[in-house]
Amino acid sequence: MAQPLPLLVVAATLGASAVALAQSVGGPFMPLPALPVLAAERVELGRKLFNDPRLSSNNSLSCASCHQLDHGGADRLPRSLGVDAKPLPVNTPSVFNASLNFRQFWDGRAQTLEQQAHLVVQSPTEMGSDWTVVVQRIAADPQYRSGFAQAYSEGVSEHSIQNALATFQRTLLTPGSRFDRYLQGNTEALTTEEKYGYQRFQEYGCIACHQGVNIGGNMFQKFGVLGDYFKDRGNPSEADLGRYNVTGDEDDRHVFKVPSLRNVAVTAPYFHDGSAATLEAAVEVMFRYQLGRTPSAEDQALIVQFLKTLTGEWEGKPL
Amino acid sequence: MRLTHRHGLFLLGASAALLASVLVYLYIMSKADETETYARARDLVRQIKQYDSQWENEILKARITISYNYDPLVSPLVEMTRLWQAFETTEALHGHSDTPAWRTAYADYQGALAQKSRLVEQFKSHNAVLRNSLAFLPTAEDGIQAQLGQLADADKLRLHNIATDTYDLMLSSLEFAQMTTDDKAADILVGLNKLAINKERLPVEFHAPIDILSNHIALILREQPKVNQLLEQIEAVPVAERLDDITLMLDRDERAATLVDQQYHFYLLVFSTLLVLLLIYMGIRLMRSFGEINRVNRALVSANDELEQRVEERTRQLKDTQSELLDTARQAGMAEIATNVLHNVGNVLNSVNISADLVTRKLRNSKALGLGKAMQLINEHPDDLGRYLSEDAKGKMLPGYLNQLVEAISLEQKEMADELTQLSKSVDHIKDIVATQQSYAGASTLLEPLVVSTLLEDALRMNAGALTRHHVTVLKEYDEVPRIMGDKHRLLLILINLISNAKYAMSDVCNHARNMTLGVNRLDDTLQISVTDEGEGIAPENMTRIFAHGFTTRKEGHGFGLHSCALAAVEMNGHLAAYSDGPGKGARFVLQIPLIIAEGES
Repeated sequence: MAQPLPLLVVAATLGASAVALAQSVGGPFMPLPALPVLAAERVELGRKLFNDPRLSSNNSLSCASCHQLDHGGADRLPRSLGVDAKPLPVNTPSVFNASLNFRQFWDGRAQTLEQQAHLVVQSPTEMGSDWTVVVQRIAADPQYRSGFAQAYSEGVSEHSIQNALATFQRTLLTPGSRFDRYLQGNTEALTTEEKYGYQRFQEYGCIACHQGVNIGGNMFQKFGVLGDYFKDRGNPSEADLGRYNVTGDEDDRHVFKVPSLRNVAVTAPYFHDGSAATLEAAVEVMFRYQLGRTPSAEDQALIVQFLKTLTGEWEGKPL
Repeated sequence: MRLTHRHGLFLLGASAALLASVLVYLYIMSKADETETYARARDLVRQIKQYDSQWENEILKARITISYNYDPLVSPLVEMTRLWQAFETTEALHGHSDTPAWRTAYADYQGALAQKSRLVEQFKSHNAVLRNSLAFLPTAEDGIQAQLGQLADADKLRLHNIATDTYDLMLSSLEFAQMTTDDKAADILVGLNKLAINKERLPVEFHAPIDILSNHIALILREQPKVNQLLEQIEAVPVAERLDDITLMLDRDERAATLVDQQYHFYLLVFSTLLVLLLIYMGIRLMRSFGEINRVNRALVSANDELEQRVEERTRQLKDTQSELLDTARQAGMAEIATNVLHNVGNVLNSVNISADLVTRKLRNSKALGLGKAMQLINEHPDDLGRYLSEDAKGKMLPGYLNQLVEAISLEQKEMADELTQLSKSVDHIKDIVATQQSYAGASTLLEPLVVSTLLEDALRMNAGALTRHHVTVLKEYDEVPRIMGDKHRLLLILINLISNAKYAMSDVCNHARNMTLGVNRLDDTLQISVTDEGEGIAPENMTRIFAHGFTTRKEGHGFGLHSCALAAVEMNGHLAAYSDGPGKGARFVLQIPLIIAEGES
């Protein structure tokens, strides 16, 4: 208990400084914060666990099976296949910058990354495993055992495994996007057209929801504010109810977490149902059902160009 | 006595431990570090409250700002959660929160916070779309007005009316955002209906923009009351009040703790006072005991001195007695030595006496007297000596007589010379004895080569007269023994004594021959010399003390002979033993000494 507390404080301080920076700029956007300073041995354990299929019941899936770090932190499928090789109810969101989202999952049912890891591992459709089994398997590996003994006073446990995974994910930030460079004062980082796109992005009200450090990911919003998306799409599913499935509140019907737009160009397909295969299609849906406006084809193209400047770098390479 | 002492010690230890533990207990209970804990807890609550008000501040900002970053609406909650965890940890550590009242307070706060954060989530969603539509409204209206202006062929008045209606609708909507009343809502609904009618009258290219505009106005109409309601609800959520409640409870707890604290301080004071009184009492007792001890000590010291004096006196007396004893012992030792010497000398004097007697007797009966008678006969015939010698009957026998006389005299002389030699030997022996005892050479030994049989012969000879007188027959059973190294004087002393004793033992025997057997044997490294008599024997009750000093069975005996013999045997690393089958059955004395063969012997 004594060990994670300083980390929490570090994270909190970083968060606070990020807020301070945002307020000093005054705009609705801000560049990604610097990588948090975390216990290296925990990060390494998390990296190993992230790629370890022993977390799933039949040793077939690791976190990285769906959250492929070389594919934008997702897997390019509309809906990933779970442990039973059946498609999951919703599209896999990117793991990159996930630590900056105010909640986890499309319906925001997890408050923290630790809770997210917990829910995925024991979900019958996703990893289909059980924590006692996972802890047993990990503890049986002498390398893990010594690693955990070094990093955590409690050794291998459900809590320490979740914390290691979450700690690793907190390092998965993608700074260095051209837009961030622009925000940091490098006006040459965007082309004129992209700057126009940024302007249209603000004018059309995309920023009403997609703002903040993660350009989204800090609020819930109803999918279909100005139009019934699900009626038009057809084939409604339980997952389409969104946050209603969590709260049971009628107000939360079709309400989802607003996703981050960082790296949006490399994380197709889009939306919780993975229905939009391209950025253009996604922007179109947003205009129609969320903004209730009809942009010119030129403006739409400019916005798409702007969105492509949001692709950052990870481990020094563009995503 | 010892048990009571141990018991008392245990009791003392137990009471000391009890007093110490009471003191420690009271000290711990009255410790004042509680204040710090309460201060920290209150500080955490205050910080949470600050974040809460910051949160509300941001909510109000979000309500009026068109483009807004919603991150500040997320971070206060994160901070509050973190601080609450810290608060809970602090409180749990001090065990304050484990009462129903506290649990209720916790649950109330957490419930309020959950409610508030849910309302804030909803506010964010609704406010975002509302602000967006409000921001879009002028643009949408401008677009329609511009489009209307481009209509050249239409009825100017109708167009003007439509434009005014649209403008009014927009204004109403914007006013509605400021003053959300039912009247305004009704106005907007009328305006929307008008717009729908107007839409039908306008060309088809107007339909889409008008639809968009009315959609957004409908959204404002729907969302603005919702947002206002949410704001009211958020304001109504008693997060701050719950935090105040917690602060109040902290204050109350602290007051109670302080009260308890003061109580224990008082107890501590009372207890300490009692302890001090006890200490003073014990100090007085101790001083009294000390005085008593001093008194007893002084008495003890004086008694001790007296005792020491007495001991000294007694010691001096003992010393005097001891020196007296020593003198007595020395005199007794000297007497013993003298007795010893006299005894041994007496033994040898016996021989001297005999020799002297013998010579005297020989001289008295000497044939030399015949020489005188012969000379008388010669002197009676001074003139006719030749004739007397050749013619007288007596004279004729004289030369023959003289010849015989010469022979007899020479024999006599020889015998007397022998006897005198023996006499001088005995005198030598006496000299030796005296010399030995004079030099007090009890322990010193002079070893010289000896022939055992010669030694025995010497001893026999020294007793020869007595033996002959008592008609004792000496039987000799000597084994072949080489020349040995031995103390001649001691051996002689022992042998003379033993032979003399044997002779005495048989003095009353008359029914059989008086036989004394001398034996010499060699047993490995031991030389064994035995003297056996057939005399009166030794009674079994006397066997154990026969060698003791002063023991004797004879009227004229000193009880010294065998004692000195046994001592001499021991001084030669040997051993003297007596054997007897009982009174009248004879006795056998055996001397055993280590056999040291003289040089040059095999």
